[in-house]
Amino acid sequence: MEVVRVEDLGKTYPGGTKALEGVSFSIQKGEIFCLLGRNGAGKTTLLRILATQLKPTVGRAFVLGHDVLQDPKAIRPHIAVVPQEARPQMLLSPYDHILYFCLIRGRSRAEARERTRKVMDDLGLWEHRDKLASDLSGGLRQRLIIAMALVADPEVLFLDEPTIGLDPLGRRSVWHMLRELTRKGATILLTTHYLDEAEMLADDLLIVDKGRTAFLGTVEAAKGDTGVGMRVIVEPPAGNGTAPPEVLEPRSAEEVLAIVERGLREKRKVTFKPASLEEAFIKIVGGSIEVEAT
Amino acid sequence: MKSRLREALYIGLFDALPLLRDPMLLVVISLFSFLPVIFIFVFADQKSAVQSLVGAIVLTFSFTGLFASQSVYFNKQWFRFQDMLVASKVSPASYAVGLSVSGLVVALPGVLVALVLLLLSGPTSVVGIFLLIATSLILWIGLVFVGFAIGATTKNARRANSIPQVLSIAMGFLPPVYYPLARLDAYPIAKAFAMLIPTTHAAQLAKYYFGLIVIPDWEVALGWAYLLGFAALMGFLASRRAHWVDP
Repeated sequence: MEVVRVEDLGKTYPGGTKALEGVSFSIQKGEIFCLLGRNGAGKTTLLRILATQLKPTVGRAFVLGHDVLQDPKAIRPHIAVVPQEARPQMLLSPYDHILYFCLIRGRSRAEARERTRKVMDDLGLWEHRDKLASDLSGGLRQRLIIAMALVADPEVLFLDEPTIGLDPLGRRSVWHMLRELTRKGATILLTTHYLDEAEMLADDLLIVDKGRTAFLGTVEAAKGDTGVGMRVIVEPPAGNGTAPPEVLEPRSAEEVLAIVERGLREKRKVTFKPASLEEAFIKIVGGSIEVEAT
Repeated sequence: MKSRLREALYIGLFDALPLLRDPMLLVVISLFSFLPVIFIFVFADQKSAVQSLVGAIVLTFSFTGLFASQSVYFNKQWFRFQDMLVASKVSPASYAVGLSVSGLVVALPGVLVALVLLLLSGPTSVVGIFLLIATSLILWIGLVFVGFAIGATTKNARRANSIPQVLSIAMGFLPPVYYPLARLDAYPIAKAFAMLIPTTHAAQLAKYYFGLIVIPDWEVALGWAYLLGFAALMGFLASRRAHWVDP
């Protein structure tokens, strides 16, 4: 089932800045869709249009079958957003934030208390419930903002760089929680600069560059389309420490086998380095960086 | 309708919560506009002090209206709570009412103290109190609109803090709100400027309804017309400036 559909979407800001141009894609139910791109590429603009916070200038976008421009009120009760650089109110506790957002979204007091407890437990915030937000670490503050969105139990969740400032364990707990949400049927669109995060989470990804689609597809396709394959590093023979290691890019299983056999024969250490999304990303947007540099 | 009122109530409470959690700060802030009354009471006569007390009530409402700009700015640009609430079933009207009313909650203790003092200072009527509150509320509505226009237009935190404070001085402490308009009779230009400021008209009406001054009927009518016109004009300005969904 298609949850998000974007057709030839474009956005030019009132000042004349063109932020998006001709972007089209769709997101299926239960999918995690990652938006990647350099700073200012148009990721936040695209996310904000889909979250009904910003009006597009051309094209159409549908969330849960409703047009974001014509019928935003039908979309809003079913979505939630974690905005980029959102901050908690420093003089309030995490419990206040989450409970009040639950109440504002229409839950009864009893339901709101129950839901607040559940979300705080899930995100490891319960033990910090009565501290002031000013006394929380950066990671806990970010988790609090995420909790304020999750408390709505949305069908579609939009997250703009949600794990920024989180430590590796905090990031993993957010990833786990996002996977749990999709298992329950939620659909997630997130922007990130962490390519390992996209690699770990994305069912599909869109790389935007200067407001245009630079790549659309799966992580594996991104690596394949850009020719970024597995690398094999063959260390120099023992006793010849000054020689540089050989970096090889085998194209077939036979080539891999031949390299391994040679390593064994010559008693050389052979290391396999899988292709990373980061390399693919740099290849995809690198062209425009080089053009800019010249 | 009931759910919209509930949304507005919780938005207002959430916005006022930092102050409600700290009653000492709440008392200091809510009594701020009453400080000049103490000096007038010490250095002038009791009649002037009562006039300034009425003026302080009017100003408390106007300050809370102006300072809605801070709520608007910080919820939109700093905390980004507005973006989170746009992506929910919350209506823009509930949001606007909630943020506006949160200021009134903060102002309430000071206003109640002032009303008690006014009742103790001499005979007064229920109608007088009602019309004093009504005048202040009309001014408050106009200045809430000003606050929304400022908060939505401001792009940095420094301006969001300084602009309402500068306007508070210009609209509160300079014009004849604490002191009688008659003091400006010797300065016709200053008096003409004062008549352009909405707080002057609100204070004149409030003092009149409280029986502290006598003004002709045409000046009463002018005062109401000015306040209503100001509120309508500022409402139009705010509707052009403050956006729920960014253009």
